Amino acid sequence: MRKKPWRQVILDGATYLATLLSVFALGMIFFYVIREGAHLLSFDLLRGDYHARGFVGLVEEETQGSFNLTGQQGENRYLVERLGLVLEQSFDLAGDGVIKVAYIDEASPLRRLTNQDPTSEQSFIGLETGAVLRRVSYVDHPTSLTSRGAASMARDMNDPDRALREVIFSTEGGGIRGSLITTLYLIFITLAIALPFGVLTAIYFNEFAPINRVTKAMRNFIETLTGVPSIIYGLLGITVFVPLTVRLTPAENANLIAGGLTLAVILLPVIIRTTEEALKVVSQDHRFASLALGANKTQTTFKVVLPQALPGILTATFLGIGRVIGESAALIFVLGAAIRDSVRIFEPSTSLAVHIWSMMTDEPANIALSSTIALIILLIVLTLNLAIKTTVWAFDWKGRRS
Amino acid sequence: MMTTVFNIENLNLFYGDFHALKNIDMVIYKNQVTALIGPSGCGKSTFIRCLNRMNDLIPEAKMEGCVRFDGEECQIGGYDVIGLRKRVGMVFQKPNPFPMSIFDNVAFGPRQQGIKQKEVLQGIVEKALKQAALYEEVKDRLTSSALSLSGGQQQRLCIARALALEPEVILMDEPTSALDPLATQRIESLINDLKEDYTIVIVTHSMQQAARISDYTAFFYMGELREIDTTEKIFKAPRLKQTEDYITGRFG
Repeated sequence: MRKKPWRQVILDGATYLATLLSVFALGMIFFYVIREGAHLLSFDLLRGDYHARGFVGLVEEETQGSFNLTGQQGENRYLVERLGLVLEQSFDLAGDGVIKVAYIDEASPLRRLTNQDPTSEQSFIGLETGAVLRRVSYVDHPTSLTSRGAASMARDMNDPDRALREVIFSTEGGGIRGSLITTLYLIFITLAIALPFGVLTAIYFNEFAPINRVTKAMRNFIETLTGVPSIIYGLLGITVFVPLTVRLTPAENANLIAGGLTLAVILLPVIIRTTEEALKVVSQDHRFASLALGANKTQTTFKVVLPQALPGILTATFLGIGRVIGESAALIFVLGAAIRDSVRIFEPSTSLAVHIWSMMTDEPANIALSSTIALIILLIVLTLNLAIKTTVWAFDWKGRRS
Repeated sequence: MMTTVFNIENLNLFYGDFHALKNIDMVIYKNQVTALIGPSGCGKSTFIRCLNRMNDLIPEAKMEGCVRFDGEECQIGGYDVIGLRKRVGMVFQKPNPFPMSIFDNVAFGPRQQGIKQKEVLQGIVEKALKQAALYEEVKDRLTSSALSLSGGQQQRLCIARALALEPEVILMDEPTSALDPLATQRIESLINDLKEDYTIVIVTHSMQQAARISDYTAFFYMGELREIDTTEKIFKAPRLKQTEDYITGRFG
């Protein structure tokens, strides 16, 4: 066999090396987010509130007792026989260390506490399984704090010398439901605006526009826009779309509509370009055939050309959804960075990407939850990718099946 | 005296600076097959595209002179091109069925004319497919993709698609050049049958094909119409030496 010339060896080697490095770098992302964040991934995280609801309960009368808690032992569990309570050193949805009520006896005195919240109509509240204990204070004794750990808190509570005064507890927080819903809303609003505008613009440029200096300049301009950093679109959003929506809708501040509009502008160049590419590959023969059959330009475009460009338009949609999910900088301006549990389109909220930003700017940064959200984003993107591929494949199959 | 369908008077066509058709005067007779022959680049395809104004789609093409269809006025300016194309169908060199079902391909033209009723469309499709001698082969799979057909079947489907509009003229631009001999034969016999009801203008590179199927033959050279006569005369006793040389394969 003849020896390969050295130039070819170098070129081939460079190809292999580049591929290896690319795949390695991309694989690292998956490896990292899975290693850091997989343990927090749960349906409770997706469903849960971010903001914990806090309660302050006054212990009116303390029945001293001794409850039988056999069978409740376990790792990180601490029994409080005096109150019929089992504490667990655990983590909330966001991965922060908390003390949870792992079990509470039916007859426990902590089931019935006087509600200290003056705004609430409820006069009595009670601890329940799953509640997060924040603080327990005693008469004439130092308060038990979460930071000292469940073991210490259980020991304090079990001490017959300490008379309980107040129990401060909350629901479990840290869920990302609000941000997840915001992201879905954003995808919908953005695509509802960007797709029709983008596709129709692409049709104009590819099918109807005369080829002259003006249209060439417009194309170049659109191409340039794909390279503009999104934070600049964010500025556009905060100077144009936020005031506009505040004026025209019940919104008072940053809101989902302004966010959708801003993202739609970011997406437009991408959708226009991708759709145009898809239209370009539609065979000229089919346009001629249609026109020769007495169809006019509009009929030809919408009945013959556009259906064939659909896979390309789906790709554009997918790329668009990817941008929406991934965008953070522009959204901090136009949608805000306040995490909400109940999402309303005329109010500020956060998308998943901004949720990550918010977690990472926390003190200390919550890398684990950020990685979990990143993992969720990756999973969404992956699912969408598969969905689009399947759809395109189905279209192809419909056109070519025998 | 035979009726004429097209009267072409002093037709000139330019692609930018290139003078593609030069002072063409020609008549095309009703229910006859007229074959256009000549070497590549002689203007015969350009000429056939003047008959249904497909040249309008080429931005730099400029047409001058007169093409009268069915005794109408000159087709220049604000002429109803769409209306013309419904009456003058076209079949292209490469079979180009749309990536839709066989039924939808044939129903495409009528549908764009606003025909919606399923029964009417079914009738039209069946009739067109029968005329194009394709019905028996595809009647059980009208909903399958047109792209699943063979090349020859696809070309007959394209003919059926043109026939569905019930045109008066069918233009064929080298309709068999992409097909094998057997498929070519089927198309040729189909053309023979269609002659009864339609006027056919066909561009061909095959002298045998022109001799076999056409009634009239026009010889184009360098954008000029050099000779037109009955096919018999052209092939037996052409007026010009150049025509004879081309037909006998001495050049071209």
